[in-house]
Amino acid sequence: MRDPFSQSNADKSSKRRIYTVVVLIAGTFLLYAIYLFNLQIVKGFVYKKKAKEVTQREIIIPAQRGEIYDRNYNLPLVENIESFAVDITPGEIPNKLRNKIYDRICKLLDIRKSLILKKVPPKYYHLYQPIEIKSGVSYGKIAYLAEHIDEFPGISWRNKPIRKYRSPKSLSHILGYVGNITNEELQILYNQGYSPGTILGKSGIEKEYDEMLRGKVGKKFKIVDVKERTLKEKYVGEVDPVPGKNIVLTIDRDIQILSEKALGPRIGSVIVLKPATGEVLAMVSYPWFDSNIFSREGSEELYKKLSLNPASPFINRAIQSAYPPASAFKMVMTTAFIEEKPNAVTTTFVCTGSFKYGDRVFHDWKKTGHGKLDLFGGLAQSCDVYFYNVGLQLGVERIISYSRDFGLGRRSGIDLPGEVSGFVPTPEWKEKVHHMKWLGGDTINLSIGQGYITVSPLQMADIVAMIVNEGTIYKPRLLKEVRDPVSGRVLIIKKPDVLHTSHIKKSTFKLVQQAMRGVITKGTAHVVITTKAVESAGKTGTSQTGIKDRFHSWFAAYAPYKTDNPEDRIVVVVMVEAANKWEWWAPKAANIILQGIFAHQNFEDAVTTLNPWYIRGIRGFN
Amino acid sequence: MVYKRYKGIQLRRFSLIGFDILLFAAVSALIVIGILFIYSSGVTSTGVIVSNEYIKQIIWAVTGLLLFFIFSYISYERYRYLSVYIYIFTIVLLLITPFIGREVNGAHSWLGFRDIGIQPSEFGKLSIILFLGYYFTSVGKDIRKLSKFLVGFAIVLLPMFLILLQPDIGTAIVYFPIFLFMAFISGAALSHIMFLVLASGLSAVLISLSAIRDYILSDGHPLLRLLSDSATNNYFLISMAVILMIAVLGYFLFKRKYFYWIGYSSLMFLISLLAGAGAHRFMKNYQIMRLIIFLKPDIDPRGSGWNIIQSITAVGSGGFWGKGFLHGTQSHYRFLPQQSTDFIFSILAEEWGFIGCILVFILFLIILLRGIYVVYKSRDNYAILIGSGIVGMIFFHIMVNIGMAVGIMPITGIPLFFLSYGGSSLWTALISVAVLNNINMHRRIF
Repeated sequence: MRDPFSQSNADKSSKRRIYTVVVLIAGTFLLYAIYLFNLQIVKGFVYKKKAKEVTQREIIIPAQRGEIYDRNYNLPLVENIESFAVDITPGEIPNKLRNKIYDRICKLLDIRKSLILKKVPPKYYHLYQPIEIKSGVSYGKIAYLAEHIDEFPGISWRNKPIRKYRSPKSLSHILGYVGNITNEELQILYNQGYSPGTILGKSGIEKEYDEMLRGKVGKKFKIVDVKERTLKEKYVGEVDPVPGKNIVLTIDRDIQILSEKALGPRIGSVIVLKPATGEVLAMVSYPWFDSNIFSREGSEELYKKLSLNPASPFINRAIQSAYPPASAFKMVMTTAFIEEKPNAVTTTFVCTGSFKYGDRVFHDWKKTGHGKLDLFGGLAQSCDVYFYNVGLQLGVERIISYSRDFGLGRRSGIDLPGEVSGFVPTPEWKEKVHHMKWLGGDTINLSIGQGYITVSPLQMADIVAMIVNEGTIYKPRLLKEVRDPVSGRVLIIKKPDVLHTSHIKKSTFKLVQQAMRGVITKGTAHVVITTKAVESAGKTGTSQTGIKDRFHSWFAAYAPYKTDNPEDRIVVVVMVEAANKWEWWAPKAANIILQGIFAHQNFEDAVTTLNPWYIRGIRGFN
Repeated sequence: MVYKRYKGIQLRRFSLIGFDILLFAAVSALIVIGILFIYSSGVTSTGVIVSNEYIKQIIWAVTGLLLFFIFSYISYERYRYLSVYIYIFTIVLLLITPFIGREVNGAHSWLGFRDIGIQPSEFGKLSIILFLGYYFTSVGKDIRKLSKFLVGFAIVLLPMFLILLQPDIGTAIVYFPIFLFMAFISGAALSHIMFLVLASGLSAVLISLSAIRDYILSDGHPLLRLLSDSATNNYFLISMAVILMIAVLGYFLFKRKYFYWIGYSSLMFLISLLAGAGAHRFMKNYQIMRLIIFLKPDIDPRGSGWNIIQSITAVGSGGFWGKGFLHGTQSHYRFLPQQSTDFIFSILAEEWGFIGCILVFILFLIILLRGIYVVYKSRDNYAILIGSGIVGMIFFHIMVNIGMAVGIMPITGIPLFFLSYGGSSLWTALISVAVLNNINMHRRIF
């Protein structure tokens, strides 16, 4: 065969093409080398960091949440109890056994399989990151799991203490509850060190002092592979958690229980306050709820159900509801009258049972009238006509300014979230909102605490505190001190804060105190305040609500009436809503509370000692 | 045998009785490095060996080196006339592979039973090199004619098409540069070669255009939208066909050169547009996306961009000295996929750093430049052609595979010769280099 290749194959053009190939190859390698130089040496640190980030995970070590105590600092009101959470590590479960194991664990933990399937979708099946399927698992079940661990591959457990709220249950509004942080909360709180999965206080003290209670979470690092399987834990850069502080409340457990029982199953609230410091000794709002439900499975449904309850158990009626003060407002009126009018105490008005103003007739609660009364008599008998006259003499502007002086219409700033401010109406407000002129009739209504004015039970307590302290209101509060969770050492002692100081003369308040004493000794409360344990002074209030034979019932009092040590004094406010059957329960409950506190008795002993006519035979007490 | 100094023929310093020691040393070094990193890829961070691929690779390497010696002493002259039968045999194998082949990674590219199997498409590369060499030598200078050039192209298109049916796009693509390399060396017209290069480049752009518009660029340029729109595509097609006809007519009637170039360009556009339309018919958008994701892997970091991101991170984090053998994190924590095959270069770059990469570059360069030297010095056109085909094939594998590992080339699944795990590709590479070695030995026997 003829060889078609002569010398021509080595001709110049062929050689040139081979040179081209050499240049192409050498050029490509040179470019790649330069590119690698840039990638590995110039930008190497960027990728080194990236390679580290992709394998390093931060593990949060939760901090023990602080406990909450009452003022005696003995038994915690809230504590952390041992409990377990069960996790699934999807990658450790062989796919063949997955269904069987899910069935077994569902049966053991008493959960639905759909819950696991929702929390562990198939796309996680290859991952080695534990996923929590149930918390609050008892020790017994964990013990069973531990014994039969061979039957439960991929199932693990860890310590996850839950918050246990002890009795008295009526503290639920004060203590509040904790829960997982929501996305909305996280957006607001992210910069304050909160992270997804944080447990935080949702209401009450748990919310108010969350930062103190929660402590600081610790951190450690682990190296994971692509399936999130932990390869090793690293102790470099580890930060230990700082446990949260213990909080000691001003609440006295015994007084709280006493108040809770004295109010009984009536929609309303009780406040017991130390006027000399502003410390709240008891705060009851009925109905209350069980803070423990939020750590249980299905808490969302329970929460929804409770939210729809018409009695609104989540409302703390002591600070989150405001009502017309009714006759209890006469304490403010009396103070104003004495301060403004030199001979106020001896001023008399005649009550005929009704009061004509223009073409309107205003009635007294006592249709037959009280006859001729002086100021003390007027307050003791709670004569409406007397105070209609007082109101007209003072004028609306003065009534408003004295109301404000007593702290009405604004929040006291108690250390609980969600306090309402109540409302003090003004002529300007009425004109603006109702497009009607403020009339004399409005002033008359306001004089006996009716109409537009509303006051929260806490504000009512502050009215009495101002009278007791003769011109000073201390900011009501629940925090007594903060203690170290380990040593118990007191870290912070909360000092009384003056909320407001009035320019009203001390002598005026002394006279008001006398007038309030009259309410007990010969006035409206005489028949119900039967306690011999202490001398008290106070004022009743019965407000119309438009419902026939239903009234809000107020009683605001303080005791002892006379003392050398103002520290001994307490203010008691009881408010029973009109929703309840009319029993005139507020002063009756206060009677029991005063007896219990000053005779150092519990509810049962106090009732036995008092043997009050209004309980005899009704509720099985003899 | 005793070799004397013939005129013009000298014994090379690295040759032992014609056997190219340097070539052999470079190949052996690469295979050893390959086995080291296949071993590394099979070891977990806790030191547990989870894969016995390295043992298999040692077996492939030992048998492969045996083949290397055998083929080194089989005269390449034998292939000249055997190549037709080898080619036909390859085509038959490729024809039956889609039907009886085992499915691995979505492609029916394996023939064999149990764990032992071969990929005919790998050996096919060598087969077409031998046959194309025969074809090009037999047409000689006539290769400048378009018809002869097209027949040569058809020889390559047939196996390419069969491999695309498997479907194994990556392997099929390799056949194309082999043809270009050999045609270039054989003296084919530059305009013909450029036509193929430009048309395929333009096709690639048009195929990926709509995916680029949809995934890479959030808001396309109006021109881009126009080009990737199927309605306007049809208008383009028709107008290109009309221009082509006019140009052909004009060329034959008036014999003007510019008609040739008008026809040349319009045909190029026509083919690219057809290729683009065809690709969209047979390929899903996400398949195309896999090919272009390297342009912007961040748009799908957990999906199609994962491999590239992890590979670049592995390479980049290697730094100058590397993290040390068996100490790579990207690889041992399993972030890097397909470490023993497609991404063997990434694990090497991570553990041995820039230094290791340059070492591997030098070894590859030794093989390639040695190959070209052999071609350059050879006086036999058949040897020149099959030699350049082999060099082109090896070069293209290296360029695409390493380009993929550093994120400048699409992910095509082309192995890195000598290093990647796999018997078929290792054997193909070793036999190819053995043929080069044999050519080198022969030129002294003239």
